[in-house]
Amino acid sequence: MSQSTVVTSAPKENIWEGGRSPYNVSYGKMMMWFFLLSDALTFGALLISYGTTRFFSAVWPDANEVFKAFPFAGHASLPLLFVSLMTFILIMSSVTMVLAVHAGHYGDKKNVAKWLVWTIIGGICFLACQAWEWTHLHSELHGLWGTFTDPATPTSKFAHFFDPHVAGHVLDTQPMMAMQSTHNFFNYFFTITGFHGGHVTSGVVFNILLLVNTVNGVYERRGHYEMVEKIGLYWHFVDLVWVFVFTCFYLL
Amino acid sequence: MSAHTHSNSIQDLYEGDQSKLYSGVLAHHSDVNSSESKSQVKKIWKVFWILLVITVIEVIVGMFFSHSMPKGLVNFFFLALTILKAGYIVAIFMHLGDEFKGFIVTVLVPLVLFVWFIIAFLADGSSWLHMNNESPSREQIEAVAPHTK
Repeated sequence: MSQSTVVTSAPKENIWEGGRSPYNVSYGKMMMWFFLLSDALTFGALLISYGTTRFFSAVWPDANEVFKAFPFAGHASLPLLFVSLMTFILIMSSVTMVLAVHAGHYGDKKNVAKWLVWTIIGGICFLACQAWEWTHLHSELHGLWGTFTDPATPTSKFAHFFDPHVAGHVLDTQPMMAMQSTHNFFNYFFTITGFHGGHVTSGVVFNILLLVNTVNGVYERRGHYEMVEKIGLYWHFVDLVWVFVFTCFYLL
Repeated sequence: MSAHTHSNSIQDLYEGDQSKLYSGVLAHHSDVNSSESKSQVKKIWKVFWILLVITVIEVIVGMFFSHSMPKGLVNFFFLALTILKAGYIVAIFMHLGDEFKGFIVTVLVPLVLFVWFIIAFLADGSSWLHMNNESPSREQIEAVAPHTK
C-alpha cells in the first residue's frame, strides 16, 4: 500500500516525532492485530497442551484410522479425504475474503458484496462439514467429551482407532493406557475444533453484518471500506489457525 | 449523515476518522481495472494455488508415506510446510508484508514466546513419559506396602 498517504514525503527519521502514526495504521486495525495476537496465544496454549499430552502417552490414536469416513461413502476407508475438503473450502473462502478486501480498497461496492457472499457461503459449507464430522463421531463414540472412562470397556471399542503396527503391543498388554489416550485424544479434538468452529461461526456472523452494511451503502458514505479489512484480518486468522489444527490433528 | 462536506485536511482527519487517513482511499485506488489492481488480484490467486499445492502434498505424504519414513523427518517436513503456509497467509492475505517494518516487528516479536512454550512443554511431556515408564505400577507398590485403612 502507498505509505506516503497524506503527509508529503516525510523523511524517515521523523517517523516517531509526532504528526503521524508511526505504524501507519488506524487504531481499529492495530487493535484487531493485537486481539488476534492474544487469540493466537490462546489457540497456541490449547495446541501445546495437546502436544504435551500426546508426547507423554505411550500410544496415540492414528488420524488415518479415526478420520477415514466420508459422507455417503458408507464404510469405505478414505483417510484424510474429508478433512482435505474442509481445508480446501476454508482456503477458498480466505481467497474470496481477500478479494473483497481488495475491492474495498478501490471502493468497488458491487464486488465487495459479491465476494462477501462467496465468503459467507464458504464459511457455512465449512461449518456444515464440521457438523457432519462431529455427528459422525458422536454416533461412533456415543458422546463427545468424556468418553472412554469406564475401565470395563472392552478393547475392541477403541482398538480400531490405532495403527496395529505401532500400538498392537500396548493394546495387548496395557489396554487401559490405550483407552486413556483415546479419551484424551477426543477431549482435545472436540475442545480445539469446537473452539475453532466457534470462531468460524462468529466470523460468518461478522461477514453477514458486513454484507448488510455494504449493500446499504454505509461504507460508501463513510468513504472507505476499512471494516472489511478488519473483519478480513479476523477471517484469515481463523484460516491460519485451521492450518495449525490440520497439521496437529490430522498429519503429525 | 453524508450531508456535511468532507474536509480532508490532516488536522480534521486526526481528530475525526483516522481510518480514512490510513486506508489509502485518499491517495490512490481509483480504478479497479488498473494494471496495479489486476496484478494484485493475480498475486492473490497465485498464493491460493501455492497453498493448495502445499496442502495436497501434505495429504499425499500423510496418507501414503508418513508411516514408512523416520518419525522425526515426517514431523519436520509437516511443520516446515505449515510455517510456510502460515507465512503466505499472514504476509499476503493479511497484508502484513505491506505494513511498516516497525508494525511487522511489533506483531511478530511476541510470538517468539512460542519457541519457549514448545521447548518447555515438550520437555515436561518427555519427563512424564520417562516417569510413567520407570516408576513402579500401583500393583507393585501395594505388593510391597499393602494399603491399610
